[in-house]
Amino acid sequence: MIFNARNLPSNDNVNPYAFCVDVAGEMFIQKGKMIAYYGALRFESLSAGPYGALVKESFNSPLYANDFVVVTGQGRLILGDRGNNIASYDLKEGNLTVRGANVLGFEPSLVCQESTVPGYLTLLGTGKFLASSNGAVHFLEPPVRVDEDALLGWADMPSPSYRYDYGYMRGMFGMVRSMIGGRSSGEEKQLDFTGQGTVLIQSSEMGLVGSTALDDVLARTGSLQQNELQQLLSHINQRLQQS
Amino acid sequence: MTRFRLENSRLLEVTLQNERVMTRAGSMVAYDGQMKFEKAILGGEGLFGALKRRVGGEGFDLMTTSGTGRVYVAQNAAEILLVPLQNDRIFIESSSVLAFDHGMRSNTVFAGLRGASSGQGLFTTSIEGTGNVAAISDGTAIALEVTQSEPLFVDPDAFIGYTGNVRQEFVFDVNWKTLVGRSSGESYQLKFTGGGIVYIQPSERR
Repeated sequence: MIFNARNLPSNDNVNPYAFCVDVAGEMFIQKGKMIAYYGALRFESLSAGPYGALVKESFNSPLYANDFVVVTGQGRLILGDRGNNIASYDLKEGNLTVRGANVLGFEPSLVCQESTVPGYLTLLGTGKFLASSNGAVHFLEPPVRVDEDALLGWADMPSPSYRYDYGYMRGMFGMVRSMIGGRSSGEEKQLDFTGQGTVLIQSSEMGLVGSTALDDVLARTGSLQQNELQQLLSHINQRLQQS
Repeated sequence: MTRFRLENSRLLEVTLQNERVMTRAGSMVAYDGQMKFEKAILGGEGLFGALKRRVGGEGFDLMTTSGTGRVYVAQNAAEILLVPLQNDRIFIESSSVLAFDHGMRSNTVFAGLRGASSGQGLFTTSIEGTGNVAAISDGTAIALEVTQSEPLFVDPDAFIGYTGNVRQEFVFDVNWKTLVGRSSGESYQLKFTGGGIVYIQPSERR
């Protein structure tokens, strides 16, 4: 199948790992996720002059302001995210909270705010947004307990709380934890969802394949001097000892 | 023409009848019959060709597989794109090449000026003749048509290759560097005009 500007799917998946967006007007997309486009599109920083009103209306997250750009113009934009699956979600007067790194783009009819759960973004209102996942997405209904690494997000429901196994708790009391090195099944801590709504999980306990932050750091080490590399090494060792 | 067949989207089967095929070194996962695997010391391009590759940074680690039987080829469970060529030419990133007919000619060609931050060098690889070219793609590859009236813009990290009479330009854009490519990433985008097909992967090259 050979695609061109006319026969590309309209606001739909090109394949499980690529999504084609018909841009007509403005849209927020995560930096670096554009893989190709036809037409006249411009990519602008959120801080660019003309978008003050747009950002005020739709983008309420200083923490992520540098991770997103505004795409404007007329054209067909193909997004990809390191070979991760991509899906589109429609919100109707709803709210959906998604892991921030997985939000690839959203229409400005939605409002994007930081969730009280660190690392997650909440999208409110009516409109479309795109999110990536490692493997396909599955929808679960509460009450349900979910592995934190598999969680993609949740919709129309209260934020989750942590639930620890009793054995783990007892270990904490009896100082057994320190004696056995704190290691057990690795499944002693889950996120507990209650109430009404939908929980989204990905079919993997891996985060997204690859990490933008790590890629950036690695790409920059090339220009470092010997003594700077030593500094970096000792910094990393310090961090590793702390955790 | 050697028979290439996709056993599944991530595994390539090549059937040889006392023939030879060029494959990426270390990509063989299984074979039956009588097969011999030899490192292609100069990439089958002669001393000058190998030298150009070294200078151009368009590294190419190939082996020649010869014999009779079936050989299975794969690379890190990446998806495989098969491009059959009839007396045609494909320009392809050497890091994406998985296998091609031994009878085809590969070469290093100057691709124009690229940003120094890109690990892809100033050169690209051309493979021409009649036969199959198999390329690896991180996620299912997408074939995009380029026409005179519809130029195509591509992230260099997603670019695999192109066929046809396509002109490749490097567009340096201040916005591009700071906004679309990752901060450390590309300072340019690729613009394709003319008539042909551009292949991309739904991923940044790792």
